[in-house]
Amino acid sequence: MTLLRRVPRRLIQLTCFLGAVVLIWPLLPWAIAPRFFQQLSPFVFLSSSIAARSIGVGAIFALIVAVVSSFKKRWFCLYLCPTGFLLENTSRLGLRKASWWSKCPPIGKYVAILTLVGAIAGYPVLLWMDPLCIFSSPFAMNRATNPISVFLVCLGLGVLVGATFVVGMLWCVRICPLSGLQDMLFAMRKALWTRMAASAPSQKFRVARRVFFAGAGGAALALLARRAGAARFRKSDTLLRPPGAVPEDQFAGLCIRCNNCVHACPTKIIHPDTGHEGGLAGFGAPIVRFDRDYKYCLETCNACTEVCPTGALAALPLLQKNKYIIGEALVDNNVCLTALGKKECDACELACPYDAVKIKWDEEQYNAYPVVNDKCIGCGACEVVCPTTPVRAIRVWTQKPV
Amino acid sequence: MRRSIAAGGLFAAGSLIPVSSSLANQAAAQSATQPGTRAPATIVDGKVVQPRRELPVLQKTSVLVVGGGPAGTAAAFTAKRMGVDVTLVERYGYLGGLATGGLVLGIFPLYDRNNKQVIFGIGEELMKKLDVLKYGIIDRNKAPVYPTIDAEAFKFVLADMVLDSGITAYLDCWGVDAIVDGKGAVRGAVFESKSGRQAILADIVIDCSGDGDIYAAAGAAFEKVKTNIGLISRIGNIDVVDMAPTRGSEDANAEHKPLIGKPEEGRPSKGRVNDFGGHAGNSTPAPHVNWLNMKGPVGDALDVADLTAMELKHRRGTWGNVEKLRQKPGNEQVFLAETAPELGVRLSRLLDGVKKLTVQDIHSGAKFKDVIGYSGAYANAPEFQIPYGSLVPAKVENVLAAGRCISAEFEVADITRLIPVCWVTGQAAGLAAAMCIQDKCKPRNVNVAKLQDLLHQQGAYLG
Repeated sequence: MTLLRRVPRRLIQLTCFLGAVVLIWPLLPWAIAPRFFQQLSPFVFLSSSIAARSIGVGAIFALIVAVVSSFKKRWFCLYLCPTGFLLENTSRLGLRKASWWSKCPPIGKYVAILTLVGAIAGYPVLLWMDPLCIFSSPFAMNRATNPISVFLVCLGLGVLVGATFVVGMLWCVRICPLSGLQDMLFAMRKALWTRMAASAPSQKFRVARRVFFAGAGGAALALLARRAGAARFRKSDTLLRPPGAVPEDQFAGLCIRCNNCVHACPTKIIHPDTGHEGGLAGFGAPIVRFDRDYKYCLETCNACTEVCPTGALAALPLLQKNKYIIGEALVDNNVCLTALGKKECDACELACPYDAVKIKWDEEQYNAYPVVNDKCIGCGACEVVCPTTPVRAIRVWTQKPV
Repeated sequence: MRRSIAAGGLFAAGSLIPVSSSLANQAAAQSATQPGTRAPATIVDGKVVQPRRELPVLQKTSVLVVGGGPAGTAAAFTAKRMGVDVTLVERYGYLGGLATGGLVLGIFPLYDRNNKQVIFGIGEELMKKLDVLKYGIIDRNKAPVYPTIDAEAFKFVLADMVLDSGITAYLDCWGVDAIVDGKGAVRGAVFESKSGRQAILADIVIDCSGDGDIYAAAGAAFEKVKTNIGLISRIGNIDVVDMAPTRGSEDANAEHKPLIGKPEEGRPSKGRVNDFGGHAGNSTPAPHVNWLNMKGPVGDALDVADLTAMELKHRRGTWGNVEKLRQKPGNEQVFLAETAPELGVRLSRLLDGVKKLTVQDIHSGAKFKDVIGYSGAYANAPEFQIPYGSLVPAKVENVLAAGRCISAEFEVADITRLIPVCWVTGQAAGLAAAMCIQDKCKPRNVNVAKLQDLLHQQGAYLG
């Protein structure tokens, strides 16, 4: 610690900031590097491990951060957090007139509690408020195919920077769940050390009540969101998640909107959701869409599953990824060129990497049309090559249980 | 879909018809038949035996083109223009093959990936002749929408050109066998017609039969493939529904807003079958008439039983589909204008040539020294070069292949079989044959640089 004090704090912050950029970009030849950035956050690590009921390798770093934070108050915020560094400098430049919020209680720790209790119920409700994810999200801009996606990936950090410019460090000091968690860890360590917190009983009661409400709220919200997610999946025909995605009831919770998967996808088929497909809870979470002029989910790639820091997309080896069912291709024979006798088209059959689409001759109907078999995983290879407009005859739809 | 049968020399010894004078004399001495005399088959020891007999020679020519389809007519016109003697023989009573009799009216693949036309030469010339005819051709130069021709207009153009060209043409005349000399080189072909079995002697034979009947009979090695055999039809009164823009069914950039039926809202159910809710077929130059393609089941195009079954079932099935189509509101007045006179045989024999065009070649954009033309981009294949070597049999002399039966792998042949590509191979084969006559060489020894030069002069596109 004394060593740290001797080095100017700004210099450490700047180094960490640049380090974060190197990790996320990723400027390293190591494709899965981005995921270790978000996994540095003990908030992400704790919540996602509890919700997914599993612990990854990246946990070591998060544990180190957690332990150090419990000894040195808000150490992470002051030295490591690139969002903190960015906001700190923004507030220096900013108006800094408003300080009305200085009397508000810090709600970060309640956000953290709410999320952690939600995680126990399988749905870490406000995990997307993690500052590291908000920081890394705009890096996905280079894989955004339309202005809406650009807006969505920049939204979080944009709001934070804007708000900080106007009202100062409200986020870092009062709202950020990561700083809230650090406060809690520090307090808990102290409590363990001194066996008893030296606070007034009334205040203790108030705190306990808040903790109770936050926890209960987290559990209730988690259960509600899981039910809504399951219902949405049953109803939707077009909701497609990237490969490795956990079931829809948990997905929107476990996903932290870091947009690593959007950033990693070489064929630009993963987009942040406007809420059109995944509802309000799924706002900003990744969906798969096969646009014209782009490719499909390549059978040679599992990049998105490898960069997910929370396991919302399970880290699947290539062989497993190629068995993960994204959706199912269905054919509208009243649009298909072959079925309508318009052209000798077998584009879907030729394009399918899994041998799942065959143009079948139907003796009964006395016609030929594409038939999709069980090998289909919904990679979209057929959809992107289907030449019909405005609607493609073969499209990937949400797979329904039989 | 695909089954290959190793084959070669299918007609074997029975096809070796002696042409050298000594053998001919011997034959005449042994059997009492005179040229042109009918000698019916007899039964010897319970087996049906065709007596040995001398065939009348109908014609002696320099270049004999067997088959009057897109490749055959292109070859004949090109060779004739070089000033050599050309005889064209066609099995049906009209010219144009599958482009007319098969009702394959769509002229694709004409364009490369960037919608630039890559097939010119004789094909472009024929389309220009159609341009000036009323109801002759539509959608010219509207890439990626391909042009569609009218079968009757094209029959007229070809008949007109053949009549004026000085080509000796025999129609309703079926090439059934090759004439091979003692060294195994092709010297002509045998034909069956109402005039009986006759021979045409030629210096070079261009096999544009589609099925490679002549090179197979001459003993050239080939690959036999089986694929879908359909039957195209034309349906009338279809424009009664708002169908005018159907021609641009593929691209949003088409001049007409593409219409492929009102897109069905929502999720199609799994395994749903076609109920023709969309608009069947593509428009043709004839108003209110669409041509309707049929994929058909896999069949053996060299088996008369298969062909017969297809002819009958396809016509029954087409009638049934039109009745179904009529049941759709707005389509009550739709009628079946015609089913194609010829079955839509896609592929049957594929030559084992000097060069076999492979899938690898077309996807890697292979460049050939002996390039004779391009095929346009089609489905997931980009535009690709066609080498002269794919028209020349690996072993047998004096014969060239053009059209769908050239030397290519199945997946490639599935593209080279299409109408404009047949024009390309036909033109090159015709030119090469004429050069063989003029330069007194074998097809495999043709001066490729000169061939390319001449193709270039004739407006062909070689990259």
